Amino acid sequence: MRELALAGCIAAAFGIGSFYATDHFGAFSAVNLAAGAAAIAAALAIGARRLRFTGGPHSRPAIARGLLVIAAALAAAILLERAASRAQIRFDWTFERSYELAPSLTALLDELPGLSLDLFHDPLDPRVRRTRLLLEEMARGRGIALAVHDFDHVPEALEEYGVSASNSVLLRVGERFQVVERPTQGSLYEALYRLASVQAGVVAFLRGEGEGDPELTSDLGYGGLASALTSEGYELRALVTLATPDIPEDVDVLIAIAPSRGLQPEALGALRRFLERGGGLVALIEPGVTSGLEELLAGWGLVSPNLVLVDPAHGEGLDGEPAGVCPLAYLYEEHPATHGLDRGRMTFFCGVRPFELRKPDVSDSLRAIVQSSPRAWLSDDLGLLERRGGAPEPAGAREDYHAIAVTGRYLRDGVETRIFAVGDADFASNRYLRAVYNLDLIMNGVHWTAEREAQVAIRPKIRDTVQFPLPVENSLQLLYGVGLLVPELLLIAGGVVWLRRRRA
Amino acid sequence: VIAFAALVRKELASLFGAPTAYVTLVMVALVTALIFFDHLRLYNQILFVYASTNMGGFESDTIPDYVNLWDSVFFPVMETLGLTLVGAVPLLTMRVFAEERSRGTDELLLSTRLTPGQIVLAKFAVTFAFVTLMMTVAFVYPAAAIERGGLGVQHLAAVYLGLTLHGIGLASIGLACSAFTSSQLVAAVSGWAVAFVLWDFGWIQPFVSERVAGALDAISLHPRYGSFSEGIVALEDVVYFAGLALVGMAVSRFSFDVRRVGG
Repeated sequence: MRELALAGCIAAAFGIGSFYATDHFGAFSAVNLAAGAAAIAAALAIGARRLRFTGGPHSRPAIARGLLVIAAALAAAILLERAASRAQIRFDWTFERSYELAPSLTALLDELPGLSLDLFHDPLDPRVRRTRLLLEEMARGRGIALAVHDFDHVPEALEEYGVSASNSVLLRVGERFQVVERPTQGSLYEALYRLASVQAGVVAFLRGEGEGDPELTSDLGYGGLASALTSEGYELRALVTLATPDIPEDVDVLIAIAPSRGLQPEALGALRRFLERGGGLVALIEPGVTSGLEELLAGWGLVSPNLVLVDPAHGEGLDGEPAGVCPLAYLYEEHPATHGLDRGRMTFFCGVRPFELRKPDVSDSLRAIVQSSPRAWLSDDLGLLERRGGAPEPAGAREDYHAIAVTGRYLRDGVETRIFAVGDADFASNRYLRAVYNLDLIMNGVHWTAEREAQVAIRPKIRDTVQFPLPVENSLQLLYGVGLLVPELLLIAGGVVWLRRRRA
Repeated sequence: VIAFAALVRKELASLFGAPTAYVTLVMVALVTALIFFDHLRLYNQILFVYASTNMGGFESDTIPDYVNLWDSVFFPVMETLGLTLVGAVPLLTMRVFAEERSRGTDELLLSTRLTPGQIVLAKFAVTFAFVTLMMTVAFVYPAAAIERGGLGVQHLAAVYLGLTLHGIGLASIGLACSAFTSSQLVAAVSGWAVAFVLWDFGWIQPFVSERVAGALDAISLHPRYGSFSEGIVALEDVVYFAGLALVGMAVSRFSFDVRRVGG
């Protein structure tokens, strides 16, 4: 009986092992598994028979009691596991709380009845487990259908939805669908937003005077901002100021990204008329540039002197810019555009010109919504931005809070105008858009300007993978100190014990 | 209680008095340390190839997202450690009941005031404690090294908890196998076979219905352990391993009944 069981176990192990080793369930695996199962079953049968004959009738109650205890233990284990599974109590112990859904994502999920999630994967892809856990969290308690498909077994679906990579997620609502190839909370949120088909309004980018390019996908471009606006339901247009004597009526928000040349008087006139009739303006301006936009903003009480803000509370910039010219802001005033931002949710700027608020009318509401630290001072030396090294504080420089981003709300003749202005354009460029909470500030600023406060949200972060080397030298010290020394000492202890026992 | 404590002391002395325990400890710790270091070295090499000047440097976005510290180093090592335990733990558990049986000392144990249930409980408790120690020894080096990469202590605690529970589940299987034989070899091989079969039923999924595949997935060891390594501590997974221990104890307890009536 034992020999049979032993042979059966070995055969079964080889059957499954060959499948794991080759990822192919061939004749070898099948024959071994069948033979192994048969041998184990035969061994069990012989064992049971022997038990019956050796024990005799008087042993049956004891055996039955023992079997009953096993059955009870098994039943208790299954029941408890099922109850725990139903209770769905789980704790996210990841550093970034990767599986705790952002409120903005849960709100979107609740707004999409009939949503289904399909995960397509290669069985050997290590990222799939993470994606599956995230999708399970999204589906949990919402009646969302979740299906997981082996990449090789559903060629029709791959063809139909254009899925081309393992670890892709298909989101479907009725006939509409979106495919996400690198699923994270952030990318799934954006896809769900597109799926929800929210019509948020028309946003026009000013073009033609050296403004930031919303079609450019390199670091210097603003393609990321354009893409985020599209994801959140805005229709985008480009307005060449020279060719547009007036801003079209259906434009809700105008975005001017740091024009590097002076705007023509006709263009400035069109902008004025647009604001006077209740249009919204998002203006990103840079130090050292006089385009006419600054003058326009000053007319609405948002005065921006041509100075550079230096905040010594912060170190050098990412590219070695002088200490202080790239501040990390953490002081926010309570406002829809900064809703959810706090000391722990900072925004990063590089090369900032400050704002001063001078109300043109008592009924106007002007707010400095993002401010520097109180140690900041202003410099008229624009060369600071180019110079390497430190930015020495001149004698007599006044340290104070300085406004980095401001808003203006004007109610005139029953028409409401909104302006959101930031003394830096780079913070919304592709290079810095996803840094800390920059995306949230600019998007919420646009939503506020478009009078869509309901869309203001803190977006789920796209998880950054750790792609820096871990120096082998450091790890080598740990390997010698812990990885090898401890086993060595244990082996010595084991050897001594063995020798002593032999002697005894 | 005194008799139970005496049995626990005797089990501990017996465990640490045999070289098998040390060899198992060393094997698991050494395999983990060397595999981790090897993965780390390979990861650094791959990263430097992708980040070389020809490929555009670190900020060029040419590094595929799957080349990262977790997916390329930590998680593969934890997977290997999980599989190593399938091989190592039955070596540890094979002697616990089988040795007593072959020497006939189990009869002596039964003649004490201890019930079979208490004997089983003492042996399981000592083995579980040893598994916890084994996991600590094996986990310290990779955890200390990876902590510098910012995985977070809480996530590492989840992985450690998962590994320990996985080891306890495997020990329960091994002890139940050991309880039914007097041969340590049979105990080890049957422990390996059962653990290996229970490791993952992914291979059977193409041949069965979705419902059956789901049920088989629910009893597999690997998916349960996998959630912990992703930093998720789910009550159902903890209960699964506790249930495995409970059933293991009941089966081992049954072996005493069989012995008593079957000889």
